Amino acid sequence: MTSGPYNYSYIFKYIIIGDMGVGKSCLLHQFTDKKFMADCPHTIGVEFGTRIIEVAGQKIKLQIWDTAGQERFRAVTRSYYRGAAGALMVYDITRRSTYNHLSSWLTDTRNLTNPSTVIFLIGNKSDLDGQRDVTYEEAKQFADENGLMFVEASAKTGQNVEEAFLETAKKIYQSIQDGRLDLNAAESGVQHKPASPGRPLAAPPAARDNCAC
Amino acid sequence: MWFGPNLQRSYKYMMFASKMPSLRIDQSDLKCKNGCDYFGNPQWQGYCSKCHREQMQRQRKAEKESSATLPKPEQKKPERGLRIPSHSSFSKFEEKRLRQSETLKKANLLKFSVFKKSSTDDHDHSAEKRPPEFKIPGIVNEGMKRDFRTRFPQLGPAVDRDSRLFVHSFIMDVIKCANVLSVDELSERVQRQYQRFMKHMDTSSHFANVEADTKELLMDFVEKHAMTYLHELPSVVFSPSGTDDERLDRAMSERIQQLSWVGERHLECKLDRNNPDCRQLLYKAISELLGMDSALSPGDKLSRVRRCCRHVLRLCSAAPASADDLLPALIFTVLKANPPRLVSNINFVTRFCNAQRLMTGEGGYYFTNLCCAVSFIENLTAESLNMDKKEFDCYMAMPASIGGSAWAAALSLCGAVREADEQRAHAQKLLTHTHNIHTRAEQLAANAQSFEEQIAKKVQDVLTKTPLEIKPRRELPRLGNLKEINTAPLIDLGTTTAQEEPQTKPEVTPEPLAATLLPTESTEPNITIQPETEPKLNILGFEVIERQSPSKSPQNLDQTWDLKQTSSLELLTPSPLGFTPFDSRSIDELMTPDEFGTDQLPPGLSNINYDIDLSDFSGDNSIAEEAPKSEPKDPFSPEALRKITTFDPFAPQTSKGFETALDSFDEFSFVDQRKQETDPFEVVHRGQDPFSPVELSKDPFFAPEKQSTSILDDNDTPATACLLPSPIQPQSSNKPT
Repeated sequence: MTSGPYNYSYIFKYIIIGDMGVGKSCLLHQFTDKKFMADCPHTIGVEFGTRIIEVAGQKIKLQIWDTAGQERFRAVTRSYYRGAAGALMVYDITRRSTYNHLSSWLTDTRNLTNPSTVIFLIGNKSDLDGQRDVTYEEAKQFADENGLMFVEASAKTGQNVEEAFLETAKKIYQSIQDGRLDLNAAESGVQHKPASPGRPLAAPPAARDNCAC
Repeated sequence: MWFGPNLQRSYKYMMFASKMPSLRIDQSDLKCKNGCDYFGNPQWQGYCSKCHREQMQRQRKAEKESSATLPKPEQKKPERGLRIPSHSSFSKFEEKRLRQSETLKKANLLKFSVFKKSSTDDHDHSAEKRPPEFKIPGIVNEGMKRDFRTRFPQLGPAVDRDSRLFVHSFIMDVIKCANVLSVDELSERVQRQYQRFMKHMDTSSHFANVEADTKELLMDFVEKHAMTYLHELPSVVFSPSGTDDERLDRAMSERIQQLSWVGERHLECKLDRNNPDCRQLLYKAISELLGMDSALSPGDKLSRVRRCCRHVLRLCSAAPASADDLLPALIFTVLKANPPRLVSNINFVTRFCNAQRLMTGEGGYYFTNLCCAVSFIENLTAESLNMDKKEFDCYMAMPASIGGSAWAAALSLCGAVREADEQRAHAQKLLTHTHNIHTRAEQLAANAQSFEEQIAKKVQDVLTKTPLEIKPRRELPRLGNLKEINTAPLIDLGTTTAQEEPQTKPEVTPEPLAATLLPTESTEPNITIQPETEPKLNILGFEVIERQSPSKSPQNLDQTWDLKQTSSLELLTPSPLGFTPFDSRSIDELMTPDEFGTDQLPPGLSNINYDIDLSDFSGDNSIAEEAPKSEPKDPFSPEALRKITTFDPFAPQTSKGFETALDSFDEFSFVDQRKQETDPFEVVHRGQDPFSPVELSKDPFFAPEKQSTSILDDNDTPATACLLPSPIQPQSSNKPT
């Protein structure tokens, strides 16, 4: 189990949404598999779709759920959204149709998540710049209009992938600090894990005081 | 929060929405119908989640007031008169499902009977029916204790007690509230209980040293035990009364059966029916999915789903398995599995599983996928399968068993293969087991063998250490010899000699016999040894006539001769000795017939003997009268004893006499003081010496009144014999007379 350096204070739940074939799974794997090379020397804490990152000195475990992007599953995939703290909305810069569907994805996300959910727009396959179908500017404008964060990334090369996930985490953490995100709500998508060594040391005296009749 | 906390829980509402969102939606369409600033959703009748929830609550309230259990209007009841039981060879699952539905029906009957009564009344009323003082059986407590020890051996008893207390209060609370609250309220209450326990773990000093991960496990532990117990109570948490769960279960089951024709190409998932690995994986996934119903706690159900989905993921051959592949494959699996009580199970998990767990983690993710799959199946249309509406309707009108036969066959084949595998594994296990037994038996045989050898060797060692010489036999004569040596000097002492000599006395009288023969040959005692045999022969030769009659006891005769020889110290009286042999022999002969007279009566002998006996009597008497007066009467007792001992031997003659002779022979040898005569032969003969004195002493038997006197004679004579040889001579001489 996670222990020592793999202790974490928060769990953030992410979802990756977007049309089929935009590279959601690849982004996820690019991000989660990188932990083997970078952060963790051991395979300890290797869990399904998770990675532990650090934001402002806090260890945060990211739990990322991939979703099915087929149109016919759209009606049923809203269970995924429940309790997501962050949503990565992905489109393929080489396929305009995936970009066109963004608004409906955005609608779903807005409807099915809580207002403090951070939505990040990712234009994937930036390595295929020659086949670009959607310009950066156009997407950037869409993002700005809807108040989304935006970046073009490549799951293949890993460019900007890390940034997208980290920026989302920072934004979520900020909203926690601001008090906009209620940690106690089940739907917040954030679980607070009090660091086991720290809190209990403070707690026992209080408990004893209570016990003393 | 904004959006309904029971968003997931109210999934049954959403999944009945048939209208798909159109691809292009105006901004106005997106807004909530209520006019609030948030986005609306067609699935929620165009409301935002908050407004929708309020709407739903109002609606539910109204429903409750009118009648608690009208089927939801949007629920389309699958009406199919033509329900053909599937005759596919996919019988295993079918059987399992049937069995489970059977039990389900029973439960239904029970539940409905309760429900019908309460349906007209308020929930409050039905609550009264359940006794509030409901007690949790101790088995839950015991089970928890055991499980706790095995799962958390490192945690203290305080934690154990806390968790058990929590489970107890939790169960009591749920049971108390079960009939008062609606399912959603109950679910929320349960979630609050979980949070309460989580908080307790964070604050209580008992949990101070418990790691965060262990706390999570503890949470699962508590949830498992509480829900396992509650699950078994009818209509409390699992398909609770007041919900449509059971009806939905049946509807779902029928629906899946209807859709049995849906194949992998309809779902665009890459499954190869002809690939045995693929079939095997699908089979495993289906098994796990079916197992979900038999798992009792939400956590167990979740882990079943997780395992199922892992198999499904492997089924999707794509290297980085994505949700795009997983979901269709899972839908396909669910369609092929048709798990029993699917909706009830899903609702149970959604309502009563720890929400934190359900939202994160692998189990939560896969469970969400399963929910999606079920909801997809529920809302499945021609459009969602990318097929023509007519074709879809055609398929749907088709008897259930036709479409899926190919896969069913493949899966049944898979099941058979699996069964064969299991059998083979079992056989393999048995084989290794028997092999083990064989080797052990061989080992045992080897052990026995080595043990035997060991024992033999030990025995051999012991034998070599202590050789097999018949020591006791050697020792006895040696001891005898020692006695001779030891006692030899004692003879000089007056006390011992006095006892021993009496016996020699009578011998002294016959001894002259040897003397008569020997004197010519040698004066030394050494030489007399050889004459021993000679005199016998000679004597025998001489007394052929007499011998013929007393032939019964030739040994006695020899012995008597020997005795006479041993006492050959007195060589001075040859003439009386010459007579004595006859006398002694005659005495022997006489004695024996008399003794035998009691046993056997040889008639011829008795007559002859009698005459001589009389003469003997006179002789004995004379001696007895002379000697005894001078000597003390102490020796009497030993003498008497000797006679008694020697008596018996005479009848059997040799066997017993030998033993007694051994005792007595020493004494005689001492008397003789012939240490040179160590030869056993002589010793033996001497040992038998006592016979002769006995014979002598037995003489008195004929005249019983003189028994004592005769003994006296014996006693007296030896004492005198050593010291006074001369008086003895007259005695012997008397005898023949």
